[in-house]
Amino acid sequence: MEQLLNSSEQFFQVEKPIIEFRGVSKTYPSGTHALEDVNIKINNGEFVFVVGSSGAGKSTFMKLIMREEKANTGKIIVNGFELTSMKRRDVPMLRRTMGIVFQDFRLIPTMNVFDNVAFAMHVVGASGRNVRREVSRALSKVGLGNKARSMPAQLSGGEQQRVGLARALVNSPDLIIADEPTGNVDPNMSYEIVSMLTEINKLGTTVLMVTHDHNLVRDFQHRVIMLDGGKIVADNAGGDIG
Amino acid sequence: MKLGSVKYLVGEGVKNTWVNRLMSLASVGVLVACMVVIGLALLISENVAKAIGALEQQNVVMVYMEDYNWALYSDKTDTSSDAAVSENGEEADANGIKSSDYTIHNDEEAKALCDKIAKLDNVASVTYVSSDEGLASVKESMLEGQEEYFDFLDEEYGNPMSCAAKVTMKDMSLFSETIDKIEQMEGVDVIQSQDDLAEKITAVKNGIYVAGIWIIAILMIIALVIVSNTIRVTMYNRKLEISIMKAVGATDSFIRIPFIVEGMLIGVISALIAEGLLYFCYRVATETIISTLGTTDIVKYGDMAWILLLVFLAIGIFAGIIGSVIIISKYLRKEGSEFAAI
Repeated sequence: MEQLLNSSEQFFQVEKPIIEFRGVSKTYPSGTHALEDVNIKINNGEFVFVVGSSGAGKSTFMKLIMREEKANTGKIIVNGFELTSMKRRDVPMLRRTMGIVFQDFRLIPTMNVFDNVAFAMHVVGASGRNVRREVSRALSKVGLGNKARSMPAQLSGGEQQRVGLARALVNSPDLIIADEPTGNVDPNMSYEIVSMLTEINKLGTTVLMVTHDHNLVRDFQHRVIMLDGGKIVADNAGGDIG
Repeated sequence: MKLGSVKYLVGEGVKNTWVNRLMSLASVGVLVACMVVIGLALLISENVAKAIGALEQQNVVMVYMEDYNWALYSDKTDTSSDAAVSENGEEADANGIKSSDYTIHNDEEAKALCDKIAKLDNVASVTYVSSDEGLASVKESMLEGQEEYFDFLDEEYGNPMSCAAKVTMKDMSLFSETIDKIEQMEGVDVIQSQDDLAEKITAVKNGIYVAGIWIIAILMIIALVIVSNTIRVTMYNRKLEISIMKAVGATDSFIRIPFIVEGMLIGVISALIAEGLLYFCYRVATETIISTLGTTDIVKYGDMAWILLLVFLAIGIFAGIIGSVIIISKYLRKEGSEFAAI
């Protein structure tokens, strides 16, 4: 019977959540209610835009997923890790299952492009040969194979963000969290970056992207979660932001 | 942690020391100053200990014995003609002294008492001084003309000096206890010593010991604060790097190691410079002392070089590790944010 259930599960490709929030609330010590009773499931392989005005709770939502903050009530499960009861020493293991892209790129100015990407692999203890192979692969994927020896200051904003993307990809994470990755680049480059994320998503990586750019949300037709006043006010598939 | 990671992290620590060379140089400078002062304190205390050691060796205790000569001059001996024959029939000699009037009858017995004294824990050396040697020594120390008095005594009544044991002690702080033990031995008449000198030597030794500990403790704290501050500045300069490290899943120990390596390296460089500098300063100082005071009784740097280098390395590495660990742990616990750090 159990075998039958397992095979039927495989046959019907039951979607498993990679991120799950159950009745999550977060209030900061200052008294600010950042999130209130949030319930949401993001399945493996989805591309999700998170939108909302400033103070809506987007940053807190992302910080809770990264386990930079802890929820006051409720349960959060990310990549199989139960975050509310997770010990501090286990947090690095959670982070290794995700890649993070920052709005301000966060490249180390004293390191060249190759070393900025390789840095993420050294952290997880990868061997020298593996580092060389995977970094070259990640840089080719974002179209910067020929800029490996350039310093960040020699690159345009769009190119710097692509280095950030390569760094997020290099450890082959299951989940990519992009915090307004198009916030500091021109509109053309914004489309290029989201296209790249979409390509990565097609290969099976779950992408969670915070953005203010409604045009991107409308044009790329992915699931949209809208936050307002710490609550989810809309959750629509297909780029509909109401 | 894998060997490759360790290599990478050590390399990063060395690289960071160079990248932050201005701060590293400032730390090395102050650490070297601290180490040189600690080294000087050690060298001075070693020289004082050597001088005190020489003084201790000079602080000789004379243990006079109850021998025939003692009996000659002792009030306890009854030399009247009535007592010429004792109750047990023992006959007195021409000086009216019987064998039972004194304890040490010959050189063998005197040397046996010397051996008994030598067996005490705190006794460094015992030299037997016969009564003839004692008399010659006393006469030698007399001013010209005064020795005639002793010649007169010797000729008229017999040698006034009884045989003695010349005793030196290992630890002057146990002086009184040792004297008490010797006094209780059979055959000991009187002990001549300089109790106040022993007390002074012990007080000076204790003073130097306590002062040395305080100097080293204070300078150790200074060294620790200096290295901590360098690491703190480095840490803030590298906030971006640390936030990225944490975001991509670096463990706390992975973040810590380069900083610890940096702290240790600063400590080791400081130790080597301090050793060289101290050697140079000490050589100049001792050459000046030897040429002006003419004394050669000074501790050689070569005898202390390894100890000083080990002390400097221990201070440097200890300050480096502890300073880095304290600051990084504080930073990682309170300020090492990922999203909001920058």
